[in-house]
Amino acid sequence: MGNLTEVTIDFERSHLVFPTIIAVVLGLLGLAILIRDRRRIAGSGAYWRTTFAQMDRMRFFGTLGLTLAYFSLMVPVGDIWPNTGMGFLICSIPFVFLSGLLFMHDRTLRQIAPLAIVSVVAPTFVWWLFTYPFFLTLP
Amino acid sequence: MTFTRRTLLAAVSTAAILAQPIAAAAQELPRNVRMVIGSKSTGGDTYQNSAIVADALSEHLGINIKVDAVGASAAFKALDRDSRGTTIMIFHDQSYLGHLYGREGYDDPFATYAIGPTVAINPGNAYLVPADSPYQSMEDILTAAENGEQVRVAIQPGGVSEIGFSAMKNAAAVRSPGSEANIVAVNTGSQSDKNQAMWDGLADVINGSIQANEQFTQLEEGDEKGMRFVWITARPATLEQAPEAGMGDTDRAALMQYASPETSVTLDGSEDFTFDKEFFFLFNKEMDPAIIDQIDTALTEIFAEGAIQDRQKASFFIPNFLPSDEAKAHLEQKRDTYSKVIAEISGES
Amino acid sequence: MFEIITPLFLSLIVGGTFIGIIFGAIPGMTATMAVAVCLPLTYSLGLENGLALLLGLYVGGISGGLVPAILLGIPGTPSSITTTFDGYPLAQKGEGEKALRIGIVASFVGGLVSLFVLWLFAPTLADFAIKFSYVEKFLIIFFALTVMAALSSDMLIGIFSGVLGIFIALIGTYDISSGGNGKMRLIPPGTEYWLETGFSLLPVLIGLFGLAAILEQAELGVPRGFNKDEVKVGGKSTFSFSVFRGQIVNLVRSSGIGTFVGILPGVGGSAASILAYSNAKTFSRHPETFGKGEPAGIIASESGNNGLTGGALVPLLSLGIPGDSTTALLIGAFTLQGIQVGPLFIGNNPDTWNAMIFAMLIANIAMFVMMYVAIRYFALVVTIPKHILFPVILMMCVIGAYTINYGIMFDVWTLLIFGIGGWLFVKLRLEVAPFIIGFILGPSAEVYFVKSLESFGTLSIFFTKSWIAMVLWVLIIGSILGSVVLSRRAKGQPDGV
Repeated sequence: MGNLTEVTIDFERSHLVFPTIIAVVLGLLGLAILIRDRRRIAGSGAYWRTTFAQMDRMRFFGTLGLTLAYFSLMVPVGDIWPNTGMGFLICSIPFVFLSGLLFMHDRTLRQIAPLAIVSVVAPTFVWWLFTYPFFLTLP
Repeated sequence: MTFTRRTLLAAVSTAAILAQPIAAAAQELPRNVRMVIGSKSTGGDTYQNSAIVADALSEHLGINIKVDAVGASAAFKALDRDSRGTTIMIFHDQSYLGHLYGREGYDDPFATYAIGPTVAINPGNAYLVPADSPYQSMEDILTAAENGEQVRVAIQPGGVSEIGFSAMKNAAAVRSPGSEANIVAVNTGSQSDKNQAMWDGLADVINGSIQANEQFTQLEEGDEKGMRFVWITARPATLEQAPEAGMGDTDRAALMQYASPETSVTLDGSEDFTFDKEFFFLFNKEMDPAIIDQIDTALTEIFAEGAIQDRQKASFFIPNFLPSDEAKAHLEQKRDTYSKVIAEISGES
Repeated sequence: MFEIITPLFLSLIVGGTFIGIIFGAIPGMTATMAVAVCLPLTYSLGLENGLALLLGLYVGGISGGLVPAILLGIPGTPSSITTTFDGYPLAQKGEGEKALRIGIVASFVGGLVSLFVLWLFAPTLADFAIKFSYVEKFLIIFFALTVMAALSSDMLIGIFSGVLGIFIALIGTYDISSGGNGKMRLIPPGTEYWLETGFSLLPVLIGLFGLAAILEQAELGVPRGFNKDEVKVGGKSTFSFSVFRGQIVNLVRSSGIGTFVGILPGVGGSAASILAYSNAKTFSRHPETFGKGEPAGIIASESGNNGLTGGALVPLLSLGIPGDSTTALLIGAFTLQGIQVGPLFIGNNPDTWNAMIFAMLIANIAMFVMMYVAIRYFALVVTIPKHILFPVILMMCVIGAYTINYGIMFDVWTLLIFGIGGWLFVKLRLEVAPFIIGFILGPSAEVYFVKSLESFGTLSIFFTKSWIAMVLWVLIIGSILGSVVLSRRAKGQPDGV
């Protein structure tokens, strides 16, 4: 077998062994892709322009914005009533309603009414389920 | 703790919750308390202990306490963020041992947090050898090290699992300076990894516990999975309080053979090294001390009633309630002893 | 043992299975969570009755995961990832009900096979399992990783995505409890506070599959969903048991793989279905249909992950060592009652052992009956208007991410990060399936690789350790060759790649 295959690993530094190997492999594969697909990558500017031109910007960025607001508000709101899950409950109701409204196509009363009911009932039920029978912490 | 009690509590408290946001001048524990623990497992000893205490406390004080197994680093962070008493923590000796061993993410708990009461001990920390090992006792192991034989010990580094190993090295150094270099660590992870290290022939001694390894000591002769206890680190005074039947087919008297004073791993040539894994409260340093008093008082009453001890003993824990002041002094003393042991061996090798 | 079987015992199994199915079926909720939540209840129930409930939850939770995997393309639990590969394409063709039936039958068979193995061979298999040291475990993980190549449509990009998954999984601390040294690496400066323990699997999973899919739909303006008429249910379903013709080998092999992976402590539940899937594809006569709605893929995945249930109990009951994260919680149920689990458990507690086997049997039957009956209602999920379905799914994902580690807000942000990441992935033509497989298996690959070298000090150990290692190498090479041949055939020219 010889000495070629011998390896000594210092435990104190062993956390770097595998990441280094993986980083090298990842770099090589990335390089291979860069070389093989150079034409496609060079043309990616146009690709992104069409992507953004064709997308439903209102729904896409609306979803992102609502999700961001939802996640950011949950903890501060929950902190007013600690360990009660109120942050989740109070933020989920408007989130479900508003994002539902955003996804809806014909915003008629017939469509909005069921959504309104779901957006109150679903979070409340889930909140109750997790807080009492399941006894888990919510924000 | 039953489903119905929770549901009843639920019905009563739901209405009350919104009506009373956190009382700013909290003189006592709020209505809804989150107890974070230093373990991620809801099947492990930290969780079981915490659940027993949380149940008793919430019943006694008429409040809600949820135990969240978030793990050490997340638990410390949660405790850092909250000085209102809505987050409290239960953990064990790992909290300061992690710091002593220089693990990332562990601050000195005595400086960073307020130390609360101790509640129980898990007396199970043990060291084992394969059934067919030439080593019959710790004496054999330390003698082997003295004679220049290498003894490999499988541990999980950086805490409770390593402290007994450090003590072995320290004892070797006390008996014959230099021989501690022959006791080497095999760094593994969970109990399953440590057992596996023994079966793979990678370790001569493994760290384990009475609870998890006792059955392996009772296997038929010739079973390659067989093990023998060589050392149980608990104080004799602790083990004496264990159920007389011991664990499985090993009764208390047999267990005590492996602990000090019968099995001696010396600390300094005169005293024996001992280690009890103790569970205790940690609080945010800024938290109102009145809350600590409230918990102390409540636990004093709970332990006086005596029901909690039965539950602890049923799960092989040794009840060990010390109010905050005594607990802090006791744990600091432990910390000082172990810090000396760790300094001794790292200074020399 | 018959005095144990009371109406309470039976109803706890059935009730547990029912709740388990619901947990499994909700994206973000897992079997592990179901067991964790119900564990405290077992204290007052006593050992046998408590176990009845927990085993029902376990079997139900593993099985329920196939429902969202097939209908929404969101794996309900990590072990049903591979079910999405073929189940979701079928559902998109309006054949969700057929896919569900295939999955449920396969789950049932997998559960029964593994139960049978557990019942008859538990101690023997446990003795075999301990022959697997770090080296053999690394090779098993490596074998599972080779499936990345087979799963990708463009092999170079697929492997790149998979390795990227491994890389991302390594971010954080080299976990001390699995054998690491507890040091941090790959953490961008300034983010240590959040990334200390890295990204958790579940939020990554539901981000990549759940949130990303919703973002994609939002980008397209949330096109109208299925009408009731377009979904083939009841009489219109094209399912018949003839899909299983020629699949007996696949069923048995996948159940066997699932069971065996369960038996090996520390290899992890999700590896079961991944390995079963890759084997089914490698040995298939028409591997090119996999990933496009191939029934054999669903069969492999579902019989594999249900095979896990019996397998994971083998080391638990004959070594006291859990085979996966859910059975780790079962240890708690035993210790709560003061019962030791270890090599003497079965001999010392024959009644409990028989009760467990019986409970597993009933749980599998109950799972099958309940899910089979409920299929037509499940299948209608896709007819719920998307403007109601998506917000509710998102909310459930948030709850799942937040509660998986008992209340860590960063897990919710992980969901968002990987939701956007998953959307970008598709745009960049990277491949999600190999990525998630790399992410799941990365940490164990690291520990077993590094520990093998640390313990044996030579690279040659991977070849010389044991005959088991040699067998694994044969499988690994077979799998790699299989993918290469497949990708050439797909390109239709011999000099491709």
